[in-house]
Amino acid sequence: MKKKTFFICAAGIIFFFLIAPEARGDVDLFGYYEAQVIGADVKDHFYQLFANKLRVDLKADLSSSVSFAANFDYITYHGKKEWNVLDFLSSEITSKIPEAMRPLYVIPFSDRHFLDNAYLRLSFKPFDLTLGKQQISLGTGYVWNPVDVFNIKDILDPTYEQPGHNAVRADVPIGLGSTLTALYSPGEEWKNSSKMLQFKTRISHFDFAVTGIEKTWVFHDYTVFDPAQMNFQELPDKRKLLGASTAGELLGLGVWAEYAYNWMETTDDFYELVVGTDYTFDFQTYVLIEYFRNTLGKNDHRDYTLNDWMRSFAQEQKAVSRDQVYMLIQHPATDLMTVGMSAICSLSDHSLALVPMVMYSFSQNVDIYAYLNWNTGKEGTYFANTMGNGGFVRVRVYF
Amino acid sequence: MPKKIFLSFLILILVSGVYSEELTGKEIIQKVNDLINVETSYSKSTMTITTTSDQKRTFISESWTKDKGEKNLVRYLEPARVKGQAVLMLNNADDIWMFFPRTQRVRKLATHAKKQKMQGSDFSYEDMGSGETFINDFEAERLEDEQKQGYGCYKVKLTRKPGIDISYVQMIIWVRKDNFVPIVIDYYDEDAPERVLKTLIQSDIEVIDGIPTAMKFVMIDKNNNTQTEMELLEVKYNIELDDRMFTERNLKR
Repeated sequence: MKKKTFFICAAGIIFFFLIAPEARGDVDLFGYYEAQVIGADVKDHFYQLFANKLRVDLKADLSSSVSFAANFDYITYHGKKEWNVLDFLSSEITSKIPEAMRPLYVIPFSDRHFLDNAYLRLSFKPFDLTLGKQQISLGTGYVWNPVDVFNIKDILDPTYEQPGHNAVRADVPIGLGSTLTALYSPGEEWKNSSKMLQFKTRISHFDFAVTGIEKTWVFHDYTVFDPAQMNFQELPDKRKLLGASTAGELLGLGVWAEYAYNWMETTDDFYELVVGTDYTFDFQTYVLIEYFRNTLGKNDHRDYTLNDWMRSFAQEQKAVSRDQVYMLIQHPATDLMTVGMSAICSLSDHSLALVPMVMYSFSQNVDIYAYLNWNTGKEGTYFANTMGNGGFVRVRVYF
Repeated sequence: MPKKIFLSFLILILVSGVYSEELTGKEIIQKVNDLINVETSYSKSTMTITTTSDQKRTFISESWTKDKGEKNLVRYLEPARVKGQAVLMLNNADDIWMFFPRTQRVRKLATHAKKQKMQGSDFSYEDMGSGETFINDFEAERLEDEQKQGYGCYKVKLTRKPGIDISYVQMIIWVRKDNFVPIVIDYYDEDAPERVLKTLIQSDIEVIDGIPTAMKFVMIDKNNNTQTEMELLEVKYNIELDDRMFTERNLKR
């Protein structure tokens, strides 16, 4: 049925854009195709996962005050399509898991197609109203965003696009430099829906934002299986967040900071903090460093639990360790190639991951990216050498 | 009567000639600055990068400026890879925001980002001479006049003021005497102040809305043996632009 729906949609799009171009008007059709291979050395095996992703974007300015945008993603996976999380964890943690539950810790990579974003933007003179599935990007951090309760970035690839969220959003400009944003992301009922209010302004050469969010945070107990849900037990908890963020320049350096305090209804309150800086040298080398603290994370790797790891893998929480630093250095090696290296270090458990990278412009609309991932920490730490050293190569063709 | 007119004309030429000869480096650069920083402007341009392997990369963008370049918005139209990316520069590019349409994220950039290459080209953001940079960031010294590209030119040396964070320690500018258009700029690197790092050649000058405008710019990177050609496809001056155009709200459109 899903396949049928997809083919009907695809046929409709093809008809709309190829057969009936006159009906298209000012609709832009663009997107990209991405081929990616991920390799990882896990327990004496070198596993490969291939992914093909087609993203088709539509954008139409229906009038000066009405615009529509959407994108459809189709992704297929090949190679090793099932990865057992337990292969990456220390024996101290895995030894406590009952044999019967072990198959439950397999993450499948199943082919999928979905409407990632589809929204209408109505621009009135005093405000913009955005209705539908849309990306919500909050905060000033490069890798971690304490005020963003909607997304968690991939620390190996933090600039990758985030999924869309169903929401109604109003952006009300106040003067030329300030904006008040109200966002409502509906759940089943008002009480478990997400609500956000943000005030953003500019003072001197700094941007400042104060953000308040209420959200039902659904995470799981990965030690208890719920047969009714055919999944691990859900632990929804009401989360109230008050955060502040800033970005600007100090002594010639780019600087940013982000802080959020979270009041939880049933579990412990916690806070998250990000501080970062960046600089471009005259010889074009770019450096960035960002520190992240989350008090949900643990100070000692011996305290990491299965739940900490699983929530981190499932992107329910940002990190298992309390304090970490991300460092990035990039340099245009030639006019078409940029080389770089990022290092992610857990200050709590003294583990380190090194990620050398190359970005090459193959032609006008074809980019090639290659990332290696080398974990150097001892077993049981955040970036343990048992986590699967490897990397990925990605070729992206824009159209 | 005709003799009187002739004499007046002769005096005018002599006075203007003497005046122009007496212009200091600072006055010449002020005139260049006044010329390039019009009240408001719109332009659509192509930028073609010729790489070391002789490959071409072509970008098309639109740009709007207001308050003599104090506000600047650039939006990329092509190629597909960068379509929709936009850069907003306020306060003479002391405040920079970049919008990435794929992530719908606006990132505030520090002024050091101006040193980065524009889309990998031989132009950096600071090469565009945004706002008052020639006046505020450099000391001007007039050198001996020279012929350049077949035109009589003022030659002015710009030396970076102490404490200013700009990539170039020095620039030599050749300014056409007849219209104050800078037609050649040599950029000098801090590490090798005796060697020209890059050269910008501005040509195809057309008078648009009464303002002499170079329609073609070629930046040659002498170190890497690459060049980038920029061509203005459309230019309009002194058009009506609302301040709301230069806001984060409009940047994300």
